[in-house]
Amino acid sequence: MHGWIGKILRVDLSTGKITKEALDPVMARDYIGARGLGTKFMIDEVDPAVDPLSPQNKLIFVPGPLTGTYAPSGGRYNVVTKGPLTGAIAAANSGGTWGAAFKFAGYDALIFEGKAAKPVYLWIKDQAVELRDAQHMWGKNILGTSDAIRAETDDDAKIACIGKAGENLVLFAAIMNDLHRAAGRSGVGAVMGSKNLKAVAVVGTNGVTTADNAAFEKIVLQARDKIQKHPVGGTGLRLYGTDVLTNILNEVGGYPVKNFQDGYFPTADKLGGETLAKTLLKRPKGCFSCIISCGRVTKVTNKKYAGEGEGPEYESSWGFGGDCLIDNLDAVTKANYICNENGMDTITMAATIACAMELYEMGLITKAETGGLAVEWGNAEVMVELTRLTAMGEGFGKKLAVGSYRLAESYGHPELSMSVKKQEMPAYDSRAIQGIGLNFATANCGAAHVRGYTIAPEVLGTPMKVDKDAVDGKPALVIQFQNLTAALDSTGGCLFTTFGIGAPEYAGMLSALTGVEYTPEAFMNCGERIWNMERQFNLAAGLTAKDDALPPRLTKEPLKTGASKGSVSRVPEMLPVYYELRGWDANGVPTQAKLAALGLAQ
Amino acid sequence: MKVKYFAILRDITKKKEEDWPEPEATVGDLIRDLVVRYGHAFERWVMKDGDLWALVIILVNGHDVRNLKRFATALSPDDVVVIFPPMGGG
Repeated sequence: MHGWIGKILRVDLSTGKITKEALDPVMARDYIGARGLGTKFMIDEVDPAVDPLSPQNKLIFVPGPLTGTYAPSGGRYNVVTKGPLTGAIAAANSGGTWGAAFKFAGYDALIFEGKAAKPVYLWIKDQAVELRDAQHMWGKNILGTSDAIRAETDDDAKIACIGKAGENLVLFAAIMNDLHRAAGRSGVGAVMGSKNLKAVAVVGTNGVTTADNAAFEKIVLQARDKIQKHPVGGTGLRLYGTDVLTNILNEVGGYPVKNFQDGYFPTADKLGGETLAKTLLKRPKGCFSCIISCGRVTKVTNKKYAGEGEGPEYESSWGFGGDCLIDNLDAVTKANYICNENGMDTITMAATIACAMELYEMGLITKAETGGLAVEWGNAEVMVELTRLTAMGEGFGKKLAVGSYRLAESYGHPELSMSVKKQEMPAYDSRAIQGIGLNFATANCGAAHVRGYTIAPEVLGTPMKVDKDAVDGKPALVIQFQNLTAALDSTGGCLFTTFGIGAPEYAGMLSALTGVEYTPEAFMNCGERIWNMERQFNLAAGLTAKDDALPPRLTKEPLKTGASKGSVSRVPEMLPVYYELRGWDANGVPTQAKLAALGLAQ
Repeated sequence: MKVKYFAILRDITKKKEEDWPEPEATVGDLIRDLVVRYGHAFERWVMKDGDLWALVIILVNGHDVRNLKRFATALSPDDVVVIFPPMGGG
């Protein structure tokens, strides 16, 4: 095989047995890799009703065929499992260099099953694979773990690991690789912790072969040229990072404030990418084979919040910022560092604090419970401390460790959790931007912007501008973006390349790389197949159409200020059209005809 | 009217916002006058082939002119105009 290595590594943590299996070429063709292939393994091997934190769940690390090649930004991998935060299929996507190193070691997927009797880590050096004792590093943070493993293995080892949050089964624990990159959402780090698996360290010294190197080189160079000539992919993201979105979302009235009580923050500029670039930014940074470099290497010198690391991204800046009514970028960046250093998803952490602030202001959470902390709107010091407490598993942090839905539910107000499928919404108010709300409501992993980023056409105007307030045409737009993203995620490519290229370039790169002919239509068809397979998993896990709903605040409480004042989300109008266009019945269940057309019929 | 600048346009204009004193009938009139004031560096981030660049975000009182009448969108002295160069993220 080309592009794919043709080999899967399987590790039974309960028995310690390690096996290598051949990758089925038909499965590879139809599900591509990464998110698609990982979900296919889950469907085939795991009962969707499984307890996510039980040994019967599996944890699958999967790069894609483009991972480890010189395709633009071709360095990503996914962690696929059943998410403990959501009870739904999870596919957390990360960059850095780990995915490429794993591929160079000679594998297309790494499947963990069972549970180790005591903490272990997996050490892979090409074909030599062994489980090693990790008891002495249990309790260490991401840096401490990475240093300890390198000292025992190889200075060049690439490491994906969990911190204390994953060990403590924080329901939104992340898996961190290359210190600062996160497979962030849905609690994949808690699944790793539940298996007593501290880390996966890898050194790979092989490569990825191409079916037609001349054709691959030609189309890769064309794709790189398109991205570099695009003002966003080529210039904007490198200069300002993703946090440049703060001001535009705020100016259109779609920047959620105070746990989504409003959509405009008068001092948002203090948190934006422009401010970050002039204050904390040391340099931009890219992942493996990246030509965009959206990453932010930053340093906070303010003694109160001192630290250094990477970020914040826009979502994190917003969450710890405007969503908590905080405009202190030093504090926001410190909270982001704490999440990275200990392995937690910034979006859920921040949104859970915002939810706690609302419950506190209502008098439902009291100082007696918080250890004297005043969990008030705008209290930056308390926000940072709550993040630390959650990471350490101490005090009121233990209550926050379950995410906003379970927190709000415990106080009798689940409606105050700004989540879908119990996963917190990111930094876009769907009252101001109609399509993104439909994407949040229907994303199979729970609310996520990286499943169908309609902000591009609805706000930014790329690849074309559509009216953000309109609902006509939005279901079709959302479906197109969701299918494209599902296919793209499965290649090992980066979503940001779509600021420059799309399905034709990806189909062309895959064809030249693998020797399997993908037309743009076939590529999009893979995306639709993967989307429907994820939906099948969720339905079998017990989710229903009722789970395709935004919090009632967004459909019932109009925005109070800003450019979108007076708007509510119209997801309930759009959802039936979405189901119909997807070929699903009125209950959101894929019809047999649709499943048969996609090759998914039982 | 008030004009606000973001991202690289702040470096080019050396300001975050300003009160623009000239009467401008349309967005196109304003942009052409801003190009005269701030030169080619400004022009290359907002215009393409003499027209508004499709990726440039200009909001008049929070509303995107690409969903209004683009350069022909009418302006009043008390309007707030915000201008973003092409941008992305997520």
